[in-house]
Amino acid sequence: MTWFRKRPFLWFILPGFALYSLFTVYPIFSAFQISLNRWDGIGPKTFVGFANYAELFGNKELFGQLTGAFRHSVVLFLLNTLAVLPGQLYMAYLLYSRIKGHRFFQAMIFSPQFIATPVIVFMGTLIFDGNIGVFNKLLEAVGLGEWTRPWIGLPELGIYIVWMMVAWSGIGVGMIFFLGAMKMIPVEMMEAALLEGASYWRRFFSIVLPQIKTTVLNMLILTYIFAMTMFDFSFILGGVSGGINRSVDVMALFFYRIAFGDNSAVGGTMNVNAMGMGTTIACVMFSVIFVVAVVQVVLTYRRTEDGA
Amino acid sequence: MNLKARRTYASSAILWLYSSFTLFVLGYMTYQAFRSKKELLSNTFGWPEVFNFANFGKLFAEAGFHRYFFNSVLILAATLLIVIALSSMVAYGIGRFRFRFKNGLLVYFLIGLMFPVQLGIVPIFLLIRDMGLMNSQWGVVIVLASGLSMPVFLLTTFFEKLPADLYESAKIDGAGEWTTFAKVMFPLASPVVFSICIIMSVQIWNQFFVPLIMLQSEAKKTIPLMIMKFTNNLMYNIDLAMAGSVMATVPILILFFIFSGRVLEGVASGGIKG
Repeated sequence: MTWFRKRPFLWFILPGFALYSLFTVYPIFSAFQISLNRWDGIGPKTFVGFANYAELFGNKELFGQLTGAFRHSVVLFLLNTLAVLPGQLYMAYLLYSRIKGHRFFQAMIFSPQFIATPVIVFMGTLIFDGNIGVFNKLLEAVGLGEWTRPWIGLPELGIYIVWMMVAWSGIGVGMIFFLGAMKMIPVEMMEAALLEGASYWRRFFSIVLPQIKTTVLNMLILTYIFAMTMFDFSFILGGVSGGINRSVDVMALFFYRIAFGDNSAVGGTMNVNAMGMGTTIACVMFSVIFVVAVVQVVLTYRRTEDGA
Repeated sequence: MNLKARRTYASSAILWLYSSFTLFVLGYMTYQAFRSKKELLSNTFGWPEVFNFANFGKLFAEAGFHRYFFNSVLILAATLLIVIALSSMVAYGIGRFRFRFKNGLLVYFLIGLMFPVQLGIVPIFLLIRDMGLMNSQWGVVIVLASGLSMPVFLLTTFFEKLPADLYESAKIDGAGEWTTFAKVMFPLASPVVFSICIIMSVQIWNQFFVPLIMLQSEAKKTIPLMIMKFTNNLMYNIDLAMAGSVMATVPILILFFIFSGRVLEGVASGGIKG
């Protein structure tokens, strides 16, 4: 008891430590351990070593689904990085320079963040649906009637429709983070640049961007983790199978389909190994995230050291 | 100081266009929620013949919206309470006291940021099942409340910066460790707690994945799952989908617009270091 009394911080830390360890840290290790077994979640476990990994990369059907889902996740990441991120920086800079109506704009652009994903997908349907969609109506109204399509149902557009919804709902968060970082830039620095006659965009590229570099890099890694684990948009839009021709399939949905969902497309063997193969996919997802995260952390660390 | 842009009509126009689009989508959905199912499907763009609250009545009377709403509120409130209590204690323990492995412990709490709940959901599912909390809101609460990384990090940074005199003077007054924490230190952290509440609330309220896996019976489900049930079969349920989406969206957005200044400040302070 005296050992504990001398260390009062333990009482503060222990409850949170226990809950966090059990439900956030332990599952990752447990998942790896389960992935070495053949298991349906109820019956007996059979240790099979790395056979699940071999099957995931060797089975043509499974590997096809894996690469398809991974490609879509990468497309989401690239579109978010090349289109959404610059958009967030652009809008944050406009708000930072107090463009007229900036309070209204920042609230409006952030607001979709408060809308639940099923509602966002439903809004997407209201706009892009073939029959009741506003977009087709708009095309007809401006005389482009022959261009009307059932936009939501086109497999070749699937992942881009998903991306548009993701972008609309999420663009505000990064923007607000960037805006917060820009507000931390010392005022004297901006004033000095102004006195030297640096133009509006010149100040952006020479002062603002280098100053918020760390925030941008952090945002990049969050975008990457998001793209690799995004689930709800694809699931709501395409169901457990990932849409027509798996056109909206992503990594997390592939994982869900194998671990919890309908496996009939893969053949009889998967049902008896739902938990084993499911955790195998989760571990592949984890390593895909981990490697990039470590590289990013090392790069950021080295850069800040150079700067200091 | 004048950091203003030179007159940027083009930029203004882009922001106006973007904001109007969002306003239009919200307004359009609200408008359609007042129309009948038949009209929604066959006369989507025509002049409304029926325009009343019938869909909302049906949403409460037949679909039991209040039940889903109660479940969502229960999960949100319980999770927030647990997260705030546990993370402020952990952060106080790490930030206030000096001991070995202190930084290691903080890093340990931070690595959770790299473990999204999707990756560990199979073991989490098995744990919850073994605890007998399957198909219970408390299972969802426990899983969501274990994501302590972000709040622990923000609060530790705050407690580390507090001057040591504050702590010493409370001790001289004869307050015990717990009283010092509860009466002196925790109230000081309320701005940080507020921004954590804002960021976590958005995540928990719209959480889709964990309730989808944990909650099977209709009586336990949350609002996002209710909406998906309706949108999965629009031919039959488009009226409920409209009214449900409006009820799930518009009141929260009105609250957000009223308090948007403070809310966005809270979000921004969560992102600066994160």
